[in-house]
Amino acid sequence: MTTRPDFPDPVCDAHRGRASVLARLDLRALASLVLAGLLTGCGPSADPGPTRSGAASRPLTVGVNFETLQTEYWVAGFEAIKTELKARDIRVLESVADGDANRQLQQVRTFITRRVDGIILVPKDAKTCIPAIKAANEAGIPIVLFNRPAAAAEGVRSVAVVADNRKLTRETVAFMVEQARQTGRKHKAMVVVGDLGDINAIGRKDGFYDAVQGQEAVVEVVAEVPSEWNQEKARAGVVNALQAHPDISFIFSSSDFLFPSIVAALKSANRYHKIGAPGHVILGGFDGDATAYQMLVEGYLDATGVQDVYFEAEQCVQALLDQLAGKEVPPVILDPGFVIHQGNLEEKKARMWGAHVARR
Amino acid sequence: MLSEYLVAWLCLAYFVALAPFAPGFASLDNLRTILAYLLPILVVSVGLTLVLILGGIDLSVTSMIALASVVGGKIMSGEEGWLAGHALAVPVGIVAMLGTGVLLGAVNGLAVTVGRIPAFIATLTTMMFVSGLAIWVTLSRKIGGLPDGFLVLGQRLWVAVGIAGGAAWVAHAGLSRTLYGKWLYAIGHNVRAARVSGVPVGWVTFGTYVVSGGFAGLAAILFTAVLETGNPEMARDNLLDVVGAVVIGGTSLYGGKGTIVGTVFGVLFLALVDNSLNLLGLSFYSIMMVKGGVILAAALVDTTRNRWRGGAR
Repeated sequence: MTTRPDFPDPVCDAHRGRASVLARLDLRALASLVLAGLLTGCGPSADPGPTRSGAASRPLTVGVNFETLQTEYWVAGFEAIKTELKARDIRVLESVADGDANRQLQQVRTFITRRVDGIILVPKDAKTCIPAIKAANEAGIPIVLFNRPAAAAEGVRSVAVVADNRKLTRETVAFMVEQARQTGRKHKAMVVVGDLGDINAIGRKDGFYDAVQGQEAVVEVVAEVPSEWNQEKARAGVVNALQAHPDISFIFSSSDFLFPSIVAALKSANRYHKIGAPGHVILGGFDGDATAYQMLVEGYLDATGVQDVYFEAEQCVQALLDQLAGKEVPPVILDPGFVIHQGNLEEKKARMWGAHVARR
Repeated sequence: MLSEYLVAWLCLAYFVALAPFAPGFASLDNLRTILAYLLPILVVSVGLTLVLILGGIDLSVTSMIALASVVGGKIMSGEEGWLAGHALAVPVGIVAMLGTGVLLGAVNGLAVTVGRIPAFIATLTTMMFVSGLAIWVTLSRKIGGLPDGFLVLGQRLWVAVGIAGGAAWVAHAGLSRTLYGKWLYAIGHNVRAARVSGVPVGWVTFGTYVVSGGFAGLAAILFTAVLETGNPEMARDNLLDVVGAVVIGGTSLYGGKGTIVGTVFGVLFLALVDNSLNLLGLSFYSIMMVKGGVILAAALVDTTRNRWRGGAR
């Protein structure tokens, strides 16, 4: 370990060698220049851009910002929106906030700086997106939220295209309950819930309880596992629930992306069996991702509620175009989605986004 | 040698080089956007700079921001706040947010000095506990309805510049003009030599973690005011940006070297890179790789410099 004879002094250091007085003056001038530039915006504008009134005579540009691309669903949605925009000859600017609400606000403002004609946004959550929507509103740029609506706020205008989470979950779980009824015995059930700060997770949880209410003779809910949309937390929660209730035979996951965790827990408890095999656990999910498709094909998954990504992408773009054309657009556009199961897999798989991902 | 001077010139060179190619990069609105984005990150980075100069690390700063944000929301929110609509809601909320950071910083300081737990483990544990606490307190719900008197702190750019600039200046003055600053560099360079020379190592270390916590509390005020929400996940994904900006600014991961001016330009450089690559329309994956590469390059320069200095600590 080396030692120094005296303490380093940054002030004295700054007066020695490379860091001369001249350099200090240069630094101050440079700092002043950069900070003054930031505060006064004296730089040239590299892109004066066409005026919005000239939008009809030039190709439209739409900014697409996603909060994350962490799951297959978001990647599929991102690609579906870009494909839909390009199919309509609309120029696309894209950015991803990587889970950071502050960065997302900056990226939306960047779109505004580039004078986009519309913005499609997947917000970080219902509340932190409000400043971004306000910024778009103030700039007179229509903004459509994909899959996550914003919380109600005074004077804030946006359109949201969302799956009807509650209804679609209710239909999916009702199908699972019917499967359970056909076994002729009572089932103990587990529900894996998402991040309860996410309105979609709340809708799915409510839809689950809507479907099982009044069905106590067939299904008794004995475990509710919080996942916070985290696979590791889901796995640990499912393992614990299976230890506490080894006779659980009915599991609904609030998102298909948690299936790898649930399957791992079932396998370690030797409870993962195909439909029709003794000991099969009735499984259902939500989203319609590639894992769910594979599990359906292989005969392990009973049903999943599919968000129709292509419908949602089409509706997002149409909602923007309608607003630009001055038409009235409802604040919420619902994707009814559909339940896919062993009985309609061949018929419905063309509309299941996870099936397309799985085939890539 | 990576120093604040080099990073400052790098910022200018990068800005001049990219301005013709990144549409709107140099426009007034965009420069304001960059500034608004970087101010909260700057404040937390300044606190972390002090800890790194000391030769420590504080992994818990972003989780402190999350908890302080929740505490502020719980006090001030017009929808569910304990002091909803009360005239003292804003000042009490601000003091509580700062106090949350200071308190957690004190916990880290005690763990490192009295408990003699390595800073990495002590602050990692704090990060895990505090993150869990913030989510448990709110059940993951975000807290809206914050009063306008609070939101103005983040949404009027000159106010936010004043807060962040003032905080950075105080830290800069403390480092370069006070005995505390000399002690900090001394401990970072060689803790044994510092102790033998009479530096109160324990108190300086404890105080630095407290100050870092205070800066995290201040950053929480800016983040919460900008995003209008008390959020248990606030700044959760910013740790890489914060550490990266401080290292790019020339602060050594080995301690004993670094300045606040360097950190200011490190934060600015990362913000310029992020913003310009977005304007250029690069994909998310490309931007992540470029930013990772820039931070890696800065860390390599730091390691090489440390080796040349013979400081194999």
